Amino acid sequence: MTAPQSIHTGSLDVLGGEVLLDVSHVSMGYGDGEHEKRILEDLNLKVGHSEFVSIVGPSGVGKTTLLRGLSGLLPPKRGTVSVAGQTITGPHPDIAAVFQDYSRSLMPWMTTRENVAFPLQGQGVGRRERNRRAEESLEEVGLSGQGDKYPWEMSGGMQQRVAIARALAYHAKVLLMDEPFASVDAQTRFDLEDLVVNLREALGVTIVLVTHDVDEAIYLADRVIVIAEKPATVVDVIETGFGTVRDQVDTKADPRFQDARGRILTRLRKA
Amino acid sequence: MKTLIRAGWTLWLPVLLVTIWWFASANSTNIYVPSLSRIVEVLWRDISSGLLIDAARVSLTNLAVGLLIAAAVGILLGLLIGETRRLRLILDPYIHFFRSVPQSALVPLIIGAMGIGAAPKIYTVAFACVWPILLNTIDGVRGVEPTIRSVSRVFGVPKLLYFRRVVLPGAMPQVVAGLRVALPIGIVVMVVSELFASNQGLGFYILNSSATFQIPETWGGALMVGVIGYIIVIMFSLFERRVLSWYFRSGAL
Ligand SMILES: Nc1ncnc2c1ncn2[C@@H]1O[C@H](COP(=O)(O)OP(=O)(O)O)[C@@H](O)[C@H]1O
Ligand SMILES: [Mg+2]
Repeated sequence: MTAPQSIHTGSLDVLGGEVLLDVSHVSMGYGDGEHEKRILEDLNLKVGHSEFVSIVGPSGVGKTTLLRGLSGLLPPKRGTVSVAGQTITGPHPDIAAVFQDYSRSLMPWMTTRENVAFPLQGQGVGRRERNRRAEESLEEVGLSGQGDKYPWEMSGGMQQRVAIARALAYHAKVLLMDEPFASVDAQTRFDLEDLVVNLREALGVTIVLVTHDVDEAIYLADRVIVIAEKPATVVDVIETGFGTVRDQVDTKADPRFQDARGRILTRLRKA
Repeated sequence: MKTLIRAGWTLWLPVLLVTIWWFASANSTNIYVPSLSRIVEVLWRDISSGLLIDAARVSLTNLAVGLLIAAAVGILLGLLIGETRRLRLILDPYIHFFRSVPQSALVPLIIGAMGIGAAPKIYTVAFACVWPILLNTIDGVRGVEPTIRSVSRVFGVPKLLYFRRVVLPGAMPQVVAGLRVALPIGIVVMVVSELFASNQGLGFYILNSSATFQIPETWGGALMVGVIGYIIVIMFSLFERRVLSWYFRSGAL
């Protein structure tokens, strides 16, 4: 038994090793000029290889907006996002995403396998290789042999697994997730959280996940970035120090988890 | 057995109506309302002589080619316009102007301008049918789930593939609805177009018989158009069930 450890105030820089995703002085907003509604102000963050970073903040603070910036869907008003040293100017093959609403992100006219394989078709991957990779990814998310089903024949949790498989099959370096478990029931949510934790350990993918759920943010991440205020900025960073293994009961009973939880909730109440 | 019962439910009313018509018109003395038996008699005569078959072949060929052109143009333009905001802004007034012009009223003008032969008739059918297809396709494209668009962009799906595998299937329920609206319009315009500068087709058969006071033939021709229209609609429903099977089965009604 090791002595209870305490949480650390984290840094916006990586813990060590190479920087994979570099968010530098990013400001984002909607509209132009005088009519601009500024959502995010001067956000800085570096994420290392295989790191799991969660960004937590209240609803409406700009989490989805931030992910739209990181995924190249919406250019920042100021600042740059770069991945593996390359500044992105739009969607980038090193970046994949899982969206909140699984029922809207999968195409109902495609089977599960086709949904997962589809992005690869755009990259010119041949049919056989596409299907092989789709099958492999479906297996990784626990859906082997379900490729011929349509999304609407599946439960919400299974559909979100398909969306995760699609992102994995794309072989991107960074996986962005926007409140991926917000629309499923509690048990399914725990299963999906553990799935993502295990995928990170098994495949070494780098994950940036945004959520409004403080417990989820702490449970999953190596580093929790807390954003708040209008326009939003980083108000706190916490290193959890849990390593790569989690347990829904033990981890959540860990004093570090409780400390982080108290600290973040207090910080968000102030905002 | 089940299909038999269903067929029974569908068929009892038309059978009843035809029977009533048959007996009610049996002793008709009004020359404009000949007896149904007389109509069937001339219909059978002109079908077995090949006269009506040839007429139908000409008409249906024009209809089919016209519809194909309308579908190709309407769907392609609809995909482009639906996907491009700037195009929508520019073209919207024109689209709504042309779709509001009564198509049948334009038939004599178009045929007058283009002369005799199949081409102007095909063109009128295509022109009349293109609007519902175009408008529905645009609506369908606008209705494609924004998250699905974002997904396609994040995963860098190239434009052509995006149109073929995302926008087109996403808009397909509406595209098919547009085709369903276009079909009867096409049938009417096909017949109307053959009333002008024409010497063949079902429309000509109807016009010619009516002009020469062959009233049973006029009725027969109209009846023939009705039956053909009905068959086309049935065939279309089968086609619809096929291309939209995911849509019906997912219960996204
Ligand atoms: N397309 C848009 N145009 C204008 N304002 C937007 C748009 N999308 C989001 N917003 C606004 O930006 C703010 C942050 O939204 P969002 O990033 O969705 O928050 P979160 O994901 O944290 O709930 C909200 O106030 C929202 O109303
Ligand atoms: Mg959001």
